[in-house]
Amino acid sequence: MNPFWHNIFRISREELTLAYFLGTLPAFKNLDKGELALLENIVHVRNYLADEMVFSEGDIGSGMYAIRSGQVQIYNLDEQGENEQVVLKTGDFFGEVALTASRPRCASARTTEPTVLVGLFRSDMLEAVRRHPVPAAKILVGLNRVISDRLLQCSIQLQQLKKQLAIDQEQTANE
Amino acid sequence: MSNQGGMSRAQVAVLYLVLTSAIASGIAIYSSASTVTVLLKTATAGLFLPILLSLIVSFLLDPAVQFLDSKKINRSLGIFIVYFLLSAFIGLLMLIIGPPNWEGMILALKADFPRYTIQAIEYLSSWLAVVQQQFPFIKDYNIAENLRTTSQSFFGSVLKETPRSAIRFGSLLLLVPLFTFFFLRDSRRIMRSLISLTPNRYFEMVLDIYAHVSLQLAHFIRGRILEALIIGIVIWMGLSMTDIHYAPILAVIAGASNLVPYIGPIIGMLPGLIIALVDLGMGGQFWWILCVYLLIAQIIVDNFILIPILISKASNLHPLWVILAIVMGGKLYGVLGMIIGVPIVSIINITIIEIRQYRRTFNPYNRYFSSRGKML
Repeated sequence: MNPFWHNIFRISREELTLAYFLGTLPAFKNLDKGELALLENIVHVRNYLADEMVFSEGDIGSGMYAIRSGQVQIYNLDEQGENEQVVLKTGDFFGEVALTASRPRCASARTTEPTVLVGLFRSDMLEAVRRHPVPAAKILVGLNRVISDRLLQCSIQLQQLKKQLAIDQEQTANE
Repeated sequence: MSNQGGMSRAQVAVLYLVLTSAIASGIAIYSSASTVTVLLKTATAGLFLPILLSLIVSFLLDPAVQFLDSKKINRSLGIFIVYFLLSAFIGLLMLIIGPPNWEGMILALKADFPRYTIQAIEYLSSWLAVVQQQFPFIKDYNIAENLRTTSQSFFGSVLKETPRSAIRFGSLLLLVPLFTFFFLRDSRRIMRSLISLTPNRYFEMVLDIYAHVSLQLAHFIRGRILEALIIGIVIWMGLSMTDIHYAPILAVIAGASNLVPYIGPIIGMLPGLIIALVDLGMGGQFWWILCVYLLIAQIIVDNFILIPILISKASNLHPLWVILAIVMGGKLYGVLGMIIGVPIVSIINITIIEIRQYRRTFNPYNRYFSSRGKML
């Protein structure tokens, strides 16, 4: 948008709050105001410089991050060097595998520009489950929905790849 | 000419000024450092005890406040409700049982104390005489005289300290609820802002360790206090069945000394046994009192019931550490230091154990190295 018009249609104050940002995330879009306020209280806002490691592959993780602003590169290390998987932008989140149990990170994450991350960690989540079970359950259900979607996509892709592989093998056998 | 040295005359002058001022300020800071520490010491002198007590009280009250919090009651209001309920409960207890006559008891104890010490010393010297008959090579050490002077000086200091400690107690009554209120209300916020200071790379680890340690600590402190309380009540009930004087005071001593493992129960037992021996003689009641202290309170209630339920094995200290903690605590803060020294060392112990466990299981490099440090 033109900076001039941007200035006139200024973003409302509410849209600048952390709770509003959390509400825009697909995992938390079904939460009401009170639940978002609780979530705002249990997340940590972390500021990163450009080219700073968020975590490396093999670290034992303790939570997930959502990107409030900036950019994060997810990559694996192999013999050829860095193997980029994906570049995540504002509103994406990553590292959710380590939220419920301490699992090693399966990829490294590094910021490519100055970035603000919102971290949700296991210890805070467990505390919220103890203190406020109902909103915490809704938060977890929302996360679960997104993770299920990703799993579904994964299995569809896997099936397609299997089919492709079978076709390829048939072709090589026919030749 | 001036360029040959690499610096102009003005630069040399500036350098000279900077160096002299740096040295001068260094000397000034160094000489004032001692006064600063002295100032800090005097400023924080009386605060150690109230802050410690309010931390303990807030650990104890936290579950109640938590419960009200989960019922969607404002946290500050919840804390006030808990305060009100607690004071109402204590008041009700006072009304029903009637306050134990502490003042009269302390006055009576003041009058009786010399009698007890003299009697105890007499017993001791008679035993000593027997021992010397059996083993004549033990020199007459004059233990009795030594004990008498030390006990008299101890009693004198107690007399002198009583009014001062009354003033202290008053300030504690004011400060502890105030500090506790803020600890209960804001501890989460305070700790969150402290943790958020850690660098990004270590943030996850610090957060996790903090969560573990605080959970363990809450468990430990609540367990210990509850244990001391129950032991005190058991001993009170047991002693009330006999004709012994000062049962409430003895129960308080036994409960408080129970906070110190290994040595505490023995020390806590001594005054009761001496009073029983002097007032009641070596009869059935004396044996019953010994039985209450040793068998019922220590072995049955504490060892078989309370410790397995309340105290986790992980926080057990080696006896050597316990003795060191008692000696060092005693040197720092007297009798109070002896009581709180062991819990503080246990807290440090728990923290170290947690960090070590974290390092062992969470070490990011253990995939690349074997347990003996060899590259995999």
